[in-house]
Amino acid sequence: MNSRPQNFGIIACDAFSDELSSIAAKKNVNKTNTDTPWSRLAWLEMGLHDHPESLRSEVQALIDAWNSDSSFSTILLAYGMCGNGLIGIKSRSKTLVLPRAHDCITILLGSLEAHETILKENPGTYFYSPGWIRGRRTPGPDRERHLRNFYAQRYPDDPDLVDDLVEADLMAFSHHNCAAYVDITNNQEAENYCRNCAAYLGWKFRKLQGNSRWLEQLLTGEWSKDKFLLVPPGHLIQRTTNETLIETIPCNEMR
Amino acid sequence: MIASLQILTESIKTGKRKEAKAATEAAIEANVPPEEILNALSSGMADVGRRFKANEIFVPEVLVAARAMQTSMALLEPLLVKSGIEPEHTVVIGTVEGDLHDIGKNLVAMMLKGANFKVVDLGTNVPADKIIEAVQQHNAQLTALSALLTTTMPAMQQAVEKIHEKNIPTKIMIGGAPITQEFANDIGADGYAADAASAVDVARQLVSAR
Repeated sequence: MNSRPQNFGIIACDAFSDELSSIAAKKNVNKTNTDTPWSRLAWLEMGLHDHPESLRSEVQALIDAWNSDSSFSTILLAYGMCGNGLIGIKSRSKTLVLPRAHDCITILLGSLEAHETILKENPGTYFYSPGWIRGRRTPGPDRERHLRNFYAQRYPDDPDLVDDLVEADLMAFSHHNCAAYVDITNNQEAENYCRNCAAYLGWKFRKLQGNSRWLEQLLTGEWSKDKFLLVPPGHLIQRTTNETLIETIPCNEMR
Repeated sequence: MIASLQILTESIKTGKRKEAKAATEAAIEANVPPEEILNALSSGMADVGRRFKANEIFVPEVLVAARAMQTSMALLEPLLVKSGIEPEHTVVIGTVEGDLHDIGKNLVAMMLKGANFKVVDLGTNVPADKIIEAVQQHNAQLTALSALLTTTMPAMQQAVEKIHEKNIPTKIMIGGAPITQEFANDIGADGYAADAASAVDVARQLVSAR
């Protein structure tokens, strides 16, 4: 028999793995007599938001696959809208819970307002977090090396094209001017990494104090209406055009 | 199809700038009508867009293809002017306030140029007032707005509302990774395009429906 006060599965972006693991280890979060507060966990590859349709289909496939698992009735989604990849996600027999956030950066910063204010002050801000740094996807020397190797394998006969491709990738970030590091795990190594990327790119460095509260609330079930959306069975996630960001509607009323 | 045009389309697909330039020069030398050369460019670029969407290629590959197309278009522009092919329609294009991501916007601008639109490119992070000013100044029949972030979608909505409030006689089309047809309907935009190639079709439909 399972003795957990509340059973849930969680589908999380790999970008959150440091933060979620650290929060899950806290006593106030994990009240179960097992190592983790969740019954079931799935990590999805970070960066799927680049292709929102892929993100949507991968998350939906997991929800559908977990439908028949009767050990829990709630699925937490450690995601924001993420390029609208979470829009259109349907619940089946379980309740879905997700933060009302643009993306992981909103969640790590602790509020929609904090995220929007920083971007308003400087739209050229590029956010770094331990997860993204671990993935080596953030602009900087590692990304450049990785791309050069990748394209050298793809276009082995054309070194000029490889040079052009690497240069084009740098150009794609040319409007950015600030590497902003968001931390809730006191990861000094990741912070230094971000500083180095900023220096390499000729950008400013900015350290932003993150806040673990939102992720904690997701795991502990403190789902206030202003910060979380609860999607009952038979409903789907829909975007709003106001600051609530997302709402639910019955699947059969889908526009 | 003329051999140089086939080479041209291929060189756009692979982003080979020098080959694209040589093939364009060869086509011009062979007196191929500039519209046909433009079509060859656009068909190469449409293929690039399709493969990007299908996750087969990535942003840098799209950018080098765009640069190859730009090189060819620079050679074609004087010819188009000389042949008296005047663009019939004007489009004002830009990314909305707060959004600096212009790769998609640049592709759409180029495809529209290739489809013989006069393109007034306002660049990135463009406030609604500046969009309206440009639309009025150029009598643009079409306004094309792009947003890549969900954080800047409200700015897109505000820009569309402002254009409507002021009764500016322009059709509005929107696009960008998080944008959908539903969002276009919700905010009252006239059209939505999922990628640069379909943006041309949508643009043509909107100006012809006027």
